[in-house]
Amino acid sequence: MDDIEAMFSDLLGEMDLLTQSLGVETVPPEAPLQKEVNYSIGFKDLNESLNALEDNDLDALMADLAAEIGEPQQSQKGHSNTSVLYQDSQAALLPPPQSYSSGPPAATTLPPIAYSSSASPAPSFPAAPSPSPAPIVTSTPVPSQPSKPLTKEEEEAQAKADKIKLALEKLKEAKVKKLVVKVIMTDNSSKTLMVDETQTVRDILDNLFEKTHCDCNVDWCLYEENTYLQIERIFEDHDNMVECLSQWTRDSENRILFIERKDKYAVFKNPQNFYFGRKEKKEMKEKDKESLLEENFCGTSIIVPDLEGALYLKEDGKKSWKQRYFLLRASGIYYVPKGKTKTSRDLACFVQFDNVNVHYGTDYKNKYKAPTDYCFVLKHPQIQKESNYIKYLCCDDRWSLQLWVMGIRIAKYGKILYDNYRTAVQKAGLASRWSNLANVEAIASSVKTKAVPTQANGCPAQATPPVTSVSSAFSDAWKRADMSKANPAESKPAPAPAPPAPTMQEILPPPPPDPIMTQQECFLPPPPPDFYDLPPPPDDFSEPPPDFLPPPPPCPNAPPPPPPPLLTPAPAPVLKKVGPPPPKRTTPERSGSLHGGEQQDFMSELMKAMQKKSSK
Amino acid sequence: MANWDLQVTVEDLGPEAPPVSISVAGDLHIGGVILRIVDKTQIQKNWSDYALWWEQKKQWLLKTNWTLDKYGILADAKLFFTPQHKPIRLVLPNNCNLKINANFAGPVLRTVIDMCKILNIRHPEELSLLKPVEEKEKKRKKDKEEGVEEIYDLTGVVLSGGAPTLYNGVPAHFVDSPEKEAIYKMLSVSQPAPSPETMSKMYRPGNLIDKAQINSRWLDSSRSLMQQGILENDRLLMRFKYYSFFDLEPKYDVVRITQMYEQARWAILLEEIDCTEEEMMLFAALQYHINKLSLTSDHNHRSGNDQALEDLDSALQSLEVKMDNSLSSTEMLESITSIPELKDYLKIFRPKRLTLKGYKQCWFTFKDTSISYFKSKEESMGEPIQQMNLKGCEVAPDVNIAGQKFCIKLLIPAPDGMNEIYLRCDDEKQYSRWMAACRLASKGKTMADSSYQSEVQNILAFLTMQKKNPGTQVASDENINTHSLVSPRYQKKYKAKQLTPRILEAHQNVAQLTLMDAKIRFIQIWQSLPDFGLSYFVVRFKGCRKDEILGISNNRLIRIDLSIGDVVKTWRYNNMRQWNVNWDIRQVAIEFDGNVNIAFSCVTADCKIVHEYIGGYIFMSTRNKDQNDVLNEELFHKLTGGNEAL
Repeated sequence: MDDIEAMFSDLLGEMDLLTQSLGVETVPPEAPLQKEVNYSIGFKDLNESLNALEDNDLDALMADLAAEIGEPQQSQKGHSNTSVLYQDSQAALLPPPQSYSSGPPAATTLPPIAYSSSASPAPSFPAAPSPSPAPIVTSTPVPSQPSKPLTKEEEEAQAKADKIKLALEKLKEAKVKKLVVKVIMTDNSSKTLMVDETQTVRDILDNLFEKTHCDCNVDWCLYEENTYLQIERIFEDHDNMVECLSQWTRDSENRILFIERKDKYAVFKNPQNFYFGRKEKKEMKEKDKESLLEENFCGTSIIVPDLEGALYLKEDGKKSWKQRYFLLRASGIYYVPKGKTKTSRDLACFVQFDNVNVHYGTDYKNKYKAPTDYCFVLKHPQIQKESNYIKYLCCDDRWSLQLWVMGIRIAKYGKILYDNYRTAVQKAGLASRWSNLANVEAIASSVKTKAVPTQANGCPAQATPPVTSVSSAFSDAWKRADMSKANPAESKPAPAPAPPAPTMQEILPPPPPDPIMTQQECFLPPPPPDFYDLPPPPDDFSEPPPDFLPPPPPCPNAPPPPPPPLLTPAPAPVLKKVGPPPPKRTTPERSGSLHGGEQQDFMSELMKAMQKKSSK
Repeated sequence: MANWDLQVTVEDLGPEAPPVSISVAGDLHIGGVILRIVDKTQIQKNWSDYALWWEQKKQWLLKTNWTLDKYGILADAKLFFTPQHKPIRLVLPNNCNLKINANFAGPVLRTVIDMCKILNIRHPEELSLLKPVEEKEKKRKKDKEEGVEEIYDLTGVVLSGGAPTLYNGVPAHFVDSPEKEAIYKMLSVSQPAPSPETMSKMYRPGNLIDKAQINSRWLDSSRSLMQQGILENDRLLMRFKYYSFFDLEPKYDVVRITQMYEQARWAILLEEIDCTEEEMMLFAALQYHINKLSLTSDHNHRSGNDQALEDLDSALQSLEVKMDNSLSSTEMLESITSIPELKDYLKIFRPKRLTLKGYKQCWFTFKDTSISYFKSKEESMGEPIQQMNLKGCEVAPDVNIAGQKFCIKLLIPAPDGMNEIYLRCDDEKQYSRWMAACRLASKGKTMADSSYQSEVQNILAFLTMQKKNPGTQVASDENINTHSLVSPRYQKKYKAKQLTPRILEAHQNVAQLTLMDAKIRFIQIWQSLPDFGLSYFVVRFKGCRKDEILGISNNRLIRIDLSIGDVVKTWRYNNMRQWNVNWDIRQVAIEFDGNVNIAFSCVTADCKIVHEYIGGYIFMSTRNKDQNDVLNEELFHKLTGGNEAL
């Protein structure tokens, strides 16, 4: 119980801090704040961020796993499969202990012992450092032995057929590759998800919609950033997530962002801007837009926008850029060879789209001495480092870049792109009905949010380290409490693949006023979204702003940026509230703090629990 | 009322026979006239298709209840009593000649609708008739001497009203005799590739003006064949005229899609539409694929479907028995799930390495989608020298049959670029097995995939093709000349053996398509060419002194500078308020939103043709799936007819 007392006092301390931090929100951030709403800053690289993975990330992951396992107790096979998988993911997600000293300060606040001795969900938790902390982990598919359940030869033919079918399914299931991926949210927090081979980006977006309180509009996307090549791209909704991620190298610093990009489906919102020549950018009636889309996307074959013009091409291995006249056709990008005309038969093929993806290049003026910063890159998905096989192109202006990237996507994906868009519209439509229901509460809570700054006192902002120590102490405390609560039999650091799922259910405490409960709830499938966004890893505070520049805003004609987000003294994370804030938040501290609402939610739960307890 | 004599030439009495003279009065209706003629000829036959044609006025007298006075017919009128349906020689999009009965009395639209019904082509409004290019007298004679043109005859077919009944998807009138079946095959199965020689002899438009000339030959849809001077047994070309293909449905549109494919193919081969070299290779690969599948589908057809089905059934049954008895379920599973592997000595060459060692022999194994190689077979249990996953890699052939060189060039993506690797095989057979495996692996498939064997066969077939090509000019079905798959421009640019690997490379992306899918793919790629669907006309804009090109497509008009070939301006139908034709000065005037007015006169074609094109496309855009099948002929004529419609 001492733990809990200590925790409470820590909590109060932290709350103090938070209110103080609100007082200085006018301090301009060091990082250049673009008008782009999706701007996300924070972890310099995924590696570190994974090192700094907090328990809540792991817990969320656990919840995912628990949800996916489904019926773990039913078959030994499914069981061992998932547990191995889990073990793997833990191994990689856990930072090697020695890295703690050199890692971000936040990491030091989490003593390795907290992991190894923790009785928390996975008893099979290996504390062993993984040699290379890969951002994602490939689970080794467990070779299943289909013969095992099929030994009874005396069974009837029907039963036999059923079993074969079952075995085949199992076999298939066992071969499903699963990855753990960390997705960075707009408020710079992150969510850790497990994705399997069968999931498309659309599935994962839907999943994220459920877990966050964003407005689910069609612009939300998973955005890949390759910090090494300084390229980024929107994952298409039909892309297979596991396939995309498998292309990354093991030491990759690539990141996945969950952000809104106006350019994702720009062509479907304003087809006239893409199909009527670049000069005639203007408004159009919805009905005309529809017929234009029908004309170009619903015929026997889709029509790629007419696009041609001079672009700069980076010469192989050099930092010089040469101008060429390029044309987009359904079959690829072509250029006009020297001394030739632009008639079809004279064109030389520059690239075909079968084996390349299109990416934006960021800050190429600096990196490669590009004439402008409006660059795009075509490369084979597997290429992750600099190579002569990557093609770099540079446009004169932002709009021309938009036209080319969109045009290439249309040529490459064709009708699929339009189908994706229509699915996204449907999903957004469903979501908006829900959000309408939530709106009333959202408004109510936003009123409270406004009241918060007035509470802020004039105290100078404190240095960030105390915050981290508070929160780490706090997490330590709950772990200790957790440990004491857990079944001793399961707390043995067994490296053997013990089934995790039943464990999770066993340690579920009865619904009591227990602080653990709030954490434990995360394991319950389906998880209540409110508990998901636990405080971001504290290293956010001390981390210098990343040195990359955000991509140019996707669309010049995009709506003006939302009101500037509330700022914290800390240089980094900008909190972006997406969609209506979740209902039933009551604590006033929630608003401006970069800890986001979820933490306060969590704390209020804690507080309630404490009150109940002390009243006993 | 006074009677007077009317002279009527009756064709059935022979060309030399004098006109039949009948005594008529002005109030006699046309039906009465016909009755008297028939009486007079004393010939017993079915006269129901016969009607009166007024030569001077170029007019059919089809309204039998109208009187001679009403038509304004006097004693000097030259009348012909002639059938409304006469045979013509129809040149289909696949360039086959078909003798078919055409309606000479109705507007051409009706004629086309009737013929399409016989041919089983839906949406006849998209097609129309063209007069052929006028052949020089000498050439015509020469053609007659050769007499090679096979003519299919469909004149005997008379359709009752309503939709034709189908037998196995084939209209009833095509199944009653072997000749008819052959005709249906000609319609629904694509024709073998033409020889490069025939292709080079055919007319190819050289520039935009040539292309514009083609469009001057369209017949007027609102007038009859007879009115346009078409005679019995004349040659007419049938083509898809409006490039907005509505509701393509492989199930019902076998003939339509095949003919569309044929038209597309000829447009590509005869350079009526420009494409890039890469696109040409893909078109060639698709043609090759379609030709090959058409041959096999033909064999199936002959052996009879029922027989094949029975065979399949029994085979399945015996398989079932076998599995029940001899295999335990585990074994069975293994047999289903095991993946074939390849193991052999091959030679490897990696140009990236600085050492100029050349090819080095190693022991190779191909498992799943990965190749591993070892120093020798004995060491294959240990660690391989290297393992390469071919998923996502690029595979290209590097073959020289004369030099007995069978290399597979692999570009394997790695995080830091592409690794270039050459694998050298000993012979065709080894090459085809490994090549097929590489191809499948690059797409993430293993040799367990059902397409593996056919892929091996494909590669072998291609190699044989290449082998036989030099020297021999045999254009047998089995041995297709690669030159016959590309347009003359590329025939000149590349030798056949240079073309083969490129076509083969393009072929690997389409090799898995079914016959119908391949045709549709061909049509789709054709449709996505930038110049697709543009019909050109040389026009003179009002106030301009030089000729320009007007391009008409399904959604827009474009103005092209004749000297440079650049698009100067685009107008979309969406913004069109109205268009008018001043038939006296033969000028088309169009008004667009925002007070944009254009006017032009037509140089190469009659302004009726331009008018009909614009109106036709607007009609095409009014179609929708709800009002299926019922063609609104009245609206079509209203939009395209011009002064005749008024």
